Amino acid sequence: MDVVDARPILAPLVSFVCAALVFSAGHRAAWRRFWSFAAAAIKLGLVVSMLPGTLRGTVYVYELVEFTPGIGIAFRADAFGMFFALVSSTLWVLTTVYAIGYMRGDRDLVRFFGFFALCVSTTVGVAFAENLLTFFLFYEALTICTYPLVVHAETPEALRAGRIYLVYTLIGGGLALIGSVMTLNAAGTLTLAGTGVLSREMGGGTLAAIFVALVGGFGVKAAIMPLHGWLPIAMVAPTPVSALLHAVAVVKVGAFGVTRVIHNVFGVELLRELGYARPLAWLAGFTIVAASLIALRQDHLKRRLAYSTISQLSYIVLGAALLAPFAATAAVVHIAHQAFAKITMFFVAGAIQRRSGATHVSQLSGIGSVMPWSMAGFTVASLSFIGVPLFAGFITKWYLSLGALDAGAWWVVGVMIVSSLLNAAYWLPIVHRAYFRPLSDELEGVQEAPPMLLVPILICAAYVILLGLSGEVPGMPFSIARVAVEHAFGLPSVTP
Amino acid sequence: MTWGDALPWLVALPWTGAVLTRALGARGPRMAGGLAWAFLIATAALAVGPVTEVARHGAFSYAVGGWAAPYGVELRFDHFSAWVLPLTLLFVLVVPFSFRYLEGTLPLERQAPFYALLLLNAGAMIGFTISADLFNLFVFMEVVSLSSYALVAIAGRGLAAWAALKYLLIGGVASTLMLLGVTFVFVLTGSLNLADVSARFAAGVDAAPAATAIALLATSFLVKAALFPLHVWLPDAHAIAPSPVSAVLSGMVVKIGVVGLIRLYQLAYGSSAFEMAGLNTLLVWAGAIAIVTGAFLAMVQNDIKLMLAYSTISNVGYIVMGLALASPYAAIGGVVHVFNHALIKVTLFLAAGALIHHTGFRTLTDLRGVARAMPYTSAAMAIGAISIVGLPPTAGFVCKWYIALGAFQAGQAGFGLALVFGALLIFVYYVRLLNALYFKPAVHAAVRDASEVPWSMRAPMLLAALACLVMGVLGGVPLSFVEPAVLDMLPAWGP
Repeated sequence: MDVVDARPILAPLVSFVCAALVFSAGHRAAWRRFWSFAAAAIKLGLVVSMLPGTLRGTVYVYELVEFTPGIGIAFRADAFGMFFALVSSTLWVLTTVYAIGYMRGDRDLVRFFGFFALCVSTTVGVAFAENLLTFFLFYEALTICTYPLVVHAETPEALRAGRIYLVYTLIGGGLALIGSVMTLNAAGTLTLAGTGVLSREMGGGTLAAIFVALVGGFGVKAAIMPLHGWLPIAMVAPTPVSALLHAVAVVKVGAFGVTRVIHNVFGVELLRELGYARPLAWLAGFTIVAASLIALRQDHLKRRLAYSTISQLSYIVLGAALLAPFAATAAVVHIAHQAFAKITMFFVAGAIQRRSGATHVSQLSGIGSVMPWSMAGFTVASLSFIGVPLFAGFITKWYLSLGALDAGAWWVVGVMIVSSLLNAAYWLPIVHRAYFRPLSDELEGVQEAPPMLLVPILICAAYVILLGLSGEVPGMPFSIARVAVEHAFGLPSVTP
Repeated sequence: MTWGDALPWLVALPWTGAVLTRALGARGPRMAGGLAWAFLIATAALAVGPVTEVARHGAFSYAVGGWAAPYGVELRFDHFSAWVLPLTLLFVLVVPFSFRYLEGTLPLERQAPFYALLLLNAGAMIGFTISADLFNLFVFMEVVSLSSYALVAIAGRGLAAWAALKYLLIGGVASTLMLLGVTFVFVLTGSLNLADVSARFAAGVDAAPAATAIALLATSFLVKAALFPLHVWLPDAHAIAPSPVSAVLSGMVVKIGVVGLIRLYQLAYGSSAFEMAGLNTLLVWAGAIAIVTGAFLAMVQNDIKLMLAYSTISNVGYIVMGLALASPYAAIGGVVHVFNHALIKVTLFLAAGALIHHTGFRTLTDLRGVARAMPYTSAAMAIGAISIVGLPPTAGFVCKWYIALGAFQAGQAGFGLALVFGALLIFVYYVRLLNALYFKPAVHAAVRDASEVPWSMRAPMLLAALACLVMGVLGGVPLSFVEPAVLDMLPAWGP
């Protein structure tokens, strides 16, 4: 049931207004903090207020402007969009707290917090985009808004990273634009509200070109190999940026886009007939394993996190590409699982760097004794990534495997097992080193992270456990993911 | 009294202003500038009437001296006029920007002529957009051109004179070609009225001379539009002129050629006897080549004004390619960009002018780090840069979207790809611009300690930058004018 409501547009607008306030009058730190907090809280409130409706099957829509009949800028908060918006706005609140603590005394804070808010605004815009045009507008705006954050340090290294980031993402954007235009030309509509706008009669060549353009375009931000080159380099950005944008917003926008293409542009039925999703699944499976193997060899903590992100993102792509309801549920819900676990790790990495200056895994001997709370959070996230039951990551792996068996893709179960082992192989040594090695001299006298950094870490870590325990509780991400998947697969609703 | 009666005043008002400005300008540049601004605002206010009238009831005409078309002189205000008329209203932003800009850049005694020439230019441009016959198109084009030559030369140093001379010589040849083309048309059809000629072309004329006439007119307009490789006059003229003039030249004067080309399409497309396919094939390639070449040439510049000048060549390529693809969406994209590009270029040139005026430097290397000292100007520059590359949600994106869509609609996917990736190529360069302004340390003390420009310069460029963003999301408003104009032009496609 569609209901016209302004909240889908107000949610991105709140962060936009916040950015404008920060830019125009954010030179006083107190005001800057106040607006960032207030906007984050209001946005979260707006999104949460739509949640009961979403669970009842209500979809809030709002049309802003119409270019030509049927094509315009329009917003639509369906279950999948709500899921993504909820994850981003929750994490915005936590990251704002963390960023204020972490960036204290850094340079150009007005620019930093201004663009930070703009990024969140565009991310939620992507989540609520009703059609591919709106999606694309926000997708490209996100690229522009992240650039100043990536090059924040203004060192030659940062500028180089920024350049590579732009080359990758803008070429991806160009592909996505071509794909959108071809979709409009073939189907006459760009809406993402249905379960597929394309049909078989449009010709194999056109459909294949659209699939390659759209998935290739969005796949750049989803860092599917071999389109991942920008992500490890972009880790040069300040930690809160890496945390929110490169583990959550930017990359998830890519994964979200790929899933939208599969569920709402092509539709599951059509893709099953065409068989295009199979090579994508293989590529995602390859990425999961290959990125983990590379992560194994990284001594730089943030780089190891980056390759782990590449690997984890492909879980989402793989889940969507299997075209089975269970796997799709895993894909959607993994957006949250990966986000909370990965952001915990980034927060810890940042806290360690701020407190001790250590950036490499080999420097972390015994850090568990001086920063026990932070490392506890890190351990929880590690266990989730390995897929230990009771943690969030297990649910993903379980449902993804179930879906793979439904779809007859046995090899996926193998990929899951190998990935678990690899995750254990690159996370557990860090945990081991932190707790069971004697404290190294360099870390002598290091203190636990300050509350502004520690509180977000602990909340995120707690949420990782909560996600693992509460799958069936209404209002938790899993239940929203299920509504989204029921819609995409045209299944009868089992939720009340 | 109908809105038709207002049409001659749209030209007469700025021209009266030109005379008065020149005559009273001796009392001081402030007087001249204020007067010029007042007249432009009055013209803009007057233009609101005809534009709303077209939106409500469609095109209307005015018969000069009461002699009805096709024998008398006709002024015609159609949807297309309504869309390109606001081009000339951008002068309203340029003039106040010039008040302070001219101080110290232009000798006192030349400031009154400067404003007078701007008014002359604006009036002629309005005349060009509302003329319904070929001879008046020629006359107004000449007035636009002559005042532009003078505006380039007005800075008066050695290079300016050379650039103006080059511009004058090439422009002169183009004007001669146009006159020749007009003569051909008159001999063939016995008429100069656009609608009348179009009808007679449709009824059937001798193909070879008609094709010659079209070729002559098209070449002439394309020189004025600076389509590569007919662009050689443009970079020097646009880079050397004072920045407000560069904005006018790059944003508006170049569009005279494009508007002429569109009028030519309207004239010749109506005829079934006449085959435009040859011209279309030629122009679609020429447009694609111009996009890429212009982008490349812009990439290798270090001087910001030269870089903007070359990007104009690239953007004219978009417009021409959009028209020549001849599918409704592509043509809509091209026509939309006629105004949107002007808006973006005015933003960019005004911002570039402000940077150069206040720091004394004009290359990217020298201007490093200027954003800290001049945040407003740099913000306008950044918004302009993002718009010119066609990233959403800005004015430049609208054209890219429609032309790419039109390329697929016309079954010519390759040109769509050329467009999208040509734009990306330009962006490589504009990132260097943004990096230089924002993310690199200053190399000159003068840049680091520069002060932000006064509000009379700041407000016009910020307004223009804001409009760049607004036009990106208000896609529907331009379309209500552009769509009927394009369907006029491509009747074969139907609604």
